[in-house]
Amino acid sequence: MQEVSDLIFVRRTKPDALRPSGFHTFLVVLICWTALSASLSVWIPLQFSIVTVFLLAGPHNWFELRYFLTRLPVRFGKSRPFFLSAFTGLGILTITYVSLPFLYRSVILSDEQWTNVLAVWNSLLLFWIGLLIWLRWRQKKKDLGLAVPVLLGIGALNWLQPDGFSLGLVYLHPLVALWFLDLHLRRTRPSLVKAYRGCLMALPLVLGLMILQTATTQPLNDNNGLFWRISQHSGAQLLPQVSSHLLVTIHVFLEMLHYAVWILALPLLAPIVNSANIERDRLSRLWKIPVARHPRGFPRLVFGMLSIGALLVIGLWVGFTYDYSTARDIYFTLAIAHVLAEAPFLLRML
Amino acid sequence: MKLILITICFATLTLTAISFANADIRAPKPTTPTQGKVVLHTGLEIAPDLKAYEARLQIPQSELQNLRAALDGIDSNRTFAASIAHSSSRTVIAGVLLFLSVSFASVWLARSGKHPVPSSRGKKFMVIGLVLVAVIGAATIITRGNAGPPGYYRWKNLPKSLSEGRSTVGGLDIEIVPDDPNSSKNMRLIIPLRKEGNGAEE
Repeated sequence: MQEVSDLIFVRRTKPDALRPSGFHTFLVVLICWTALSASLSVWIPLQFSIVTVFLLAGPHNWFELRYFLTRLPVRFGKSRPFFLSAFTGLGILTITYVSLPFLYRSVILSDEQWTNVLAVWNSLLLFWIGLLIWLRWRQKKKDLGLAVPVLLGIGALNWLQPDGFSLGLVYLHPLVALWFLDLHLRRTRPSLVKAYRGCLMALPLVLGLMILQTATTQPLNDNNGLFWRISQHSGAQLLPQVSSHLLVTIHVFLEMLHYAVWILALPLLAPIVNSANIERDRLSRLWKIPVARHPRGFPRLVFGMLSIGALLVIGLWVGFTYDYSTARDIYFTLAIAHVLAEAPFLLRML
Repeated sequence: MKLILITICFATLTLTAISFANADIRAPKPTTPTQGKVVLHTGLEIAPDLKAYEARLQIPQSELQNLRAALDGIDSNRTFAASIAHSSSRTVIAGVLLFLSVSFASVWLARSGKHPVPSSRGKKFMVIGLVLVAVIGAATIITRGNAGPPGYYRWKNLPKSLSEGRSTVGGLDIEIVPDDPNSSKNMRLIIPLRKEGNGAEE
């Protein structure tokens, strides 16, 4: 009985009817952010990348952590296998990914062997996503449909070009945030969905214009170590025939959209859950995190995690100030955790 | 939304497979250690200059950057086809996965035929998606089928153009060859010229 009440506790809020002024504000902010990000990405891609990563990388991870905590049920119930698989896979994949640079330095591998190592890690990632899809679909009594053939097909492409698969993750990961926002709007602000999807339709047009603008430009001057790192991260080595200016521009622009979703859109829009009338204290009421507000919840653990997250954000800023290049490398290695964490929470929302 | 997403995923996978499919390409010839390696394909214009005293090789800054990038990645950044040719194990795994993917998709399609079909809107999206894939696939095949004349075609008027003082533009492969102590260390420009009729190289 208690478990049932736990599950009921995390229920959706009623979709709000947005006032016309709110609707227009949403559209104006969306268009302004996109236009500004696109312009600055085309104009000064490297400098813009440095500034945005410095300012927004850490905070966006913190907001993402907070969002995932709000999506966490107080008791896993029937979702226990799903969450156990999600957290176990997340841990294993993150640890193995972080250990890859150490493996690269400690073991002498040929390029071919190293490519195989990368392909194996990518395959593990695909297997994990497949497992989560199966568990989630089984719980919802849904047919797996084309999920298995699509995952197998992506796996085949991965084994043909593992570097390309990893680069695909770099470019596709920012777009996942747009999917999160779509699902969130469908639940909380249905009146905004049409306008939002209209803006999404315009995204290929914006990207096309940016590509037209930068495709024939000179490659970026990457003789500086930091600039070289940024170009490599965008795939300049893997795609030598494509202007590095284009690659960095597109990557920075997509990252800006990603940051906007996590830092602006999702926190400012209506909360996805309503925790009834149960309020533990002022702090938990402020954060609106069910797993902290419920009587059987874990407020200390949740706020401990958020506090440590805040300290890490400050630490990241200090690190960027002290040695930007090294801090950037460390950040993007550890940031794989937040890339992976998005998969189970996205599946839970489908 | 889900249906659109599935259609987009399927279309992307199919189009990617089309662009990568080179199933009828013949096996690469065994290379000897002294053979050169093409690192970059670019264009070349041969222009006569009546006032110049010395031959000049003008390379645009962007082409030089591309060449440098290609040279930097000469070992680690092979072409897609080359990377497949050099890794049979990865190709085998990819082939098996692709086979399984197509098999599972076929089974799913066969099974879904027994169940109620999706809504008319869903069917519309699926049809549009499949038509798009077919059109783009056909366009890819047509584009590849009409890939233009071979490289030597553009160079066939070179002697005449030079004698008339006009420039000639054509494709160029930049090839890195190992040093040979028995020959000079000059750069060498090989122009593909064919005799009219027998097609033999001059």
